[in-house]
Amino acid sequence: MKKVSKPERGTYPLSGLFRERDLLLRVRGILLPYGFLAPSLIIVLLFFFIPLVMVFILSFTNLDMTNFGILEWWRPTNWSLDNYVKIFTNRFFPKILGNTAMYTALTLAFFNMGMALVIALITTHINRRAGFAFRALWLLPRLTPVVVYIMMWKALAGPAPMGVINKYFLGPLGIGSGEYLLHMSPWVFIILVNGFIGASFGIIIFSAAIEAIPKDYLIASKVDGATTWQTIRHVTIPMIKWPLLFVTTYQTLSLLTSFEYIMLLTDGGPGLYQTEVWALTAYHRALSSYFGNIQWGYGAAWSVVLVIIGIVMAVVYLRVFKFGELVEEPKIDRL
Amino acid sequence: MKRLFLLVLIGCFVVAGGLLALAQEEEIVEFYVRCWARPPMESWRGNNIVLAVAELNADLEAAGDPRRVEVNLLQDDPRDWGNYVTEFLLAYGVEEAPDIWLTGHEHIGTQAEAGRIIALDELMKEFPTFNLVIDALWDSTMYKDEIWGVPQDAEARPLYFNKTLLKELGWSANKIAALPGEIEEGEFTLYDMLAVAKEAVDKGVVKEGNGFWMRPKNGPDFTALYYAFGGDTIDTATGKLVFDEAAGLKYYQFFYDAAQNYGSMSCLHGDWSLWHGTITDGKVLFWVGGTWQWAEWAVEYLKELGGEAYLWENWGFGLIPAAVEGGKPNSLTHPLVYTISSQCEHPDLALALLAKVTNYGPNTRHAIASNHLGILKDQTEYKFYKDSRMLREALYMLAYTTFLPNNPDWGSYSTITYEALAAAVGGDLTPQEAVDFVVESLQRELGDKVIIR
Repeated sequence: MKKVSKPERGTYPLSGLFRERDLLLRVRGILLPYGFLAPSLIIVLLFFFIPLVMVFILSFTNLDMTNFGILEWWRPTNWSLDNYVKIFTNRFFPKILGNTAMYTALTLAFFNMGMALVIALITTHINRRAGFAFRALWLLPRLTPVVVYIMMWKALAGPAPMGVINKYFLGPLGIGSGEYLLHMSPWVFIILVNGFIGASFGIIIFSAAIEAIPKDYLIASKVDGATTWQTIRHVTIPMIKWPLLFVTTYQTLSLLTSFEYIMLLTDGGPGLYQTEVWALTAYHRALSSYFGNIQWGYGAAWSVVLVIIGIVMAVVYLRVFKFGELVEEPKIDRL
Repeated sequence: MKRLFLLVLIGCFVVAGGLLALAQEEEIVEFYVRCWARPPMESWRGNNIVLAVAELNADLEAAGDPRRVEVNLLQDDPRDWGNYVTEFLLAYGVEEAPDIWLTGHEHIGTQAEAGRIIALDELMKEFPTFNLVIDALWDSTMYKDEIWGVPQDAEARPLYFNKTLLKELGWSANKIAALPGEIEEGEFTLYDMLAVAKEAVDKGVVKEGNGFWMRPKNGPDFTALYYAFGGDTIDTATGKLVFDEAAGLKYYQFFYDAAQNYGSMSCLHGDWSLWHGTITDGKVLFWVGGTWQWAEWAVEYLKELGGEAYLWENWGFGLIPAAVEGGKPNSLTHPLVYTISSQCEHPDLALALLAKVTNYGPNTRHAIASNHLGILKDQTEYKFYKDSRMLREALYMLAYTTFLPNNPDWGSYSTITYEALAAAVGGDLTPQEAVDFVVESLQRELGDKVIIR
């Protein structure tokens, strides 16, 4: 007769099943977040990381129109620092860098942050529907195709008698002589053109953040006798510090790499490199030239320097805005 | 039995005939043709090839060749050679390059060096119509002693002047009419022109900056003035690019003076529509343009005022004046050339098509419609060519013409020399600084591929 022994603790077949299930659940628990992340990870890998690596490698080569299909750009023997030497010894390098800094700083200060914050504050302090309608209207330039939008600005800035500003504003006032305003003050138009569109992003983020501030704080400040300015200065702005950091960082990087509006408006002119920014130079070198001396390697080097500038700027912002403190757990939750 | 034998024999004939017919079945050869052309003036660049297809197919049929050609034509105006060449390169990369590619002759060096187009010398021997082309034009298609393209058209780049404004300045009709002759004789120099431009600005006939204009951005025209000051771009012995410092200094001095002291050159803004608009509004006294633009101005800008009749009444043209009195005036031709891609599977047929369009009828159609100069010997005697006043009156300029060099690095050279020019015009660089900048940049970018003299 077969002896049936009592199974030891933990060796029941059912217990094994539970263990396997636990293991499966644990594995699933580990993999599931990656599964959710997978689509965006694949997109980032395919369309950002791999191109970035390729651009980085290209920046060390002299791949251009003359050796395309011949040069084995992926071989380290064909790599050198020549392109970077060419950039930093280029006579127009300081001018282009200065243009980029000025364009980014002024557009960011006056429009993407300044005007966006002011409009967000105003539209959240007036009738809710009116504020919403105003913000929706401000989105129109962003919805307009870029080429149409730029053509409208060119028509505004055109010489007399066709240009709208010359004909209806400056002419009747007797100011100027009907010049092409875009050529007289190209930077003013470039900053306006980019700023009107750029501001809409901040308006949406800031107004959402302001409306999310609990009303108790605002009421409490009013009960304490604070003026509107004091409420904004000491209650509203400190409470939207996170969106301020986000918009500043995002818009700085966006402005550093944007060039399409400038290309369509002035293409870096009217004077030599007068409105040429860094990203536009990278485009001109890598993809556009009258006689076709396209220099992919040299253009890639300009882009890589821009990526480095962008990373440095992002780190600076995180320090200035004290990102570490912003993501700390609230002290009340630690108790 | 006899009847059966007859039936079998007939059957055999039918089968043999069928097989023969199958063997003779037409083979369709599909060609892709890419042309740079501004419609409607320049549409004959591609349309002539389309018209030639029927004639070529008739030739093939008569010769018992089973191949028949079909053409897919793509022609437009990309406005920028960079985009146009990149398009060809990328198409070549995926083995979809056009079989026939019309491009600027200066691109031959790059594409021939990379093996993307084929040399035509041997194939051309079977098509004697190519002997009709003016010999000098073949020079523009040569690279390493071989022919890589078939000239499609040529043009002159004259100095235009506004007669109405000259009259306002006090010039008589006779004096204006004599101006092209004086330029040809070397009696009216570039600085004489600037002096008139300055006078026009001082007297309020034109605005400051509008005395003398060149094109609004980089392009071939500037090189003609560099040549006028004695410059050279290519060393014929080595095929290397050349920059002549002494000529360069005079060249940049001229443009510096024009902008800073003679009320000229407010044109380098890069905006073609503004450039054409200002000129056709009658606000510029002298400018360098192309003969093909005569058609563009007449059709697109001044049609309502009378088109070409208005132009003859109010505008005139001559050669680009000499730099010094008694010197030689010049012009610059930038021939477009048909090339055949190395991916073309039937280059003999592609060349046969090009032979068809390289003839008096097709080329004159294009010349008249676009105001490009003829490229064939004795074309001036061809009835329809003779009837075009502009072509007739501009033809003498071909005797004074110059070319861009066929060198793979011409693009880089041109960009650097233009940057220096724009900086001199803007007052950012003195003429000597402009020369130093060019020398330094050329040596850094091209190394020993350029000779500095």
